Amino acid sequence: MMNHSLPDSSSMPSLSMPEEFRYTDEELIARFQDGDEQAYVELVNRYRNRLMSFIFRFVNDMEKAEDIVQDTLMKLYTHRHFYRNIAKFSTWIYTIAGNLAKTELRRKKRHKVTHLSHMGTEEREYQLPSVEPETGETAQGHFAEKQIQKAIQELPLHFRTVVILRDIQELSYEEISKIVDVPLGTVKSRINRARLQLQQALKEYR
Amino acid sequence: MDRYQFEDLISDFIENKLSMIQRKDFETYLDENPEAMQQLDSVKQVIASMKSMPEVSTSTDFMKNLNKRIAAEKETQSVVKTTRSFAGYTPLMASLSAVVVVAVVLLGLEFIPEATNQATFTPTMAEQQVDDLPVLPTQPNDELLAENEDDSTHVDEDMPNTTDFKDRIQLVGDRRP
Repeated sequence: MMNHSLPDSSSMPSLSMPEEFRYTDEELIARFQDGDEQAYVELVNRYRNRLMSFIFRFVNDMEKAEDIVQDTLMKLYTHRHFYRNIAKFSTWIYTIAGNLAKTELRRKKRHKVTHLSHMGTEEREYQLPSVEPETGETAQGHFAEKQIQKAIQELPLHFRTVVILRDIQELSYEEISKIVDVPLGTVKSRINRARLQLQQALKEYR
Repeated sequence: MDRYQFEDLISDFIENKLSMIQRKDFETYLDENPEAMQQLDSVKQVIASMKSMPEVSTSTDFMKNLNKRIAAEKETQSVVKTTRSFAGYTPLMASLSAVVVVAVVLLGLEFIPEATNQATFTPTMAEQQVDDLPVLPTQPNDELLAENEDDSTHVDEDMPNTTDFKDRIQLVGDRRP
């Protein structure tokens, strides 16, 4: 019986090591493309929580987010040879994750519409978001995490993606432009609009 | 600067990406509009709050589940590798397909000769007319060949020599009588 499990990444220069001794993401994917599965494990360890944060802020569902991150990392495993060293690895992996998250949201939306259409007008019940504003925390200057999360969910998808990538994932405008495949100017404008919308929404929660 | 221009430049102002002139205009607008200053502070708070949001971690079972999925994927790949051998066909399917193709060809050969014999026994009208034409001699006719033995370089001796231009041309300065 063959052992199909992944190797332990302990022999790989890990995250705790100083930067100069660590492989870059691009070096790791190159090694993985050459058959080194430890490099894959290292990439998974580097990206799983970053992707989880991105996807959770996007879909607002822990279980779904984890499934999407798993799907993304499976795609990395099965489609490793699709990566070409012309773009940053992070751009590539975020693009995959973002596309899977959008697909999931569209599927969820379709499901919701179908569900409502089966109901009569009198029995229709619109679920209010479960997240309640926490007025006590806003007094300190920062908005509560749940309030922001709720406000993010109200943003249109094209605003939501870019603002999460910029203000939560802290990616550069150039990288975001490549991930969402829109011009740099459009990205800047969308981020600005998204921030203004969030500011308006959060003002109402106060 | 109006309100819309101000809002368009908020992010660039916060990220310090405005030119000196734009920055001066922006700050002048802020000085003149206290509500604009409030809005700017509020946007700054939103950005700071988002940056300070905690990182969401995957569950403790995440690696275990991923490992399972990868093991299943490897299993599928190894099954596919052992079964797929010739142009996407399994050996059994390839053999069966080959047998079927050979059988079809042999059956086809059984029928083809009969069909061609039938065609040779029923000549068409055009073929019959061709048969009625006189048969041309297959041996070369010596008389016809002699007539055709015409040499294109042959010169008739009775004709005057038209190529002798010596006495017909007089050049400028030629003092010949």
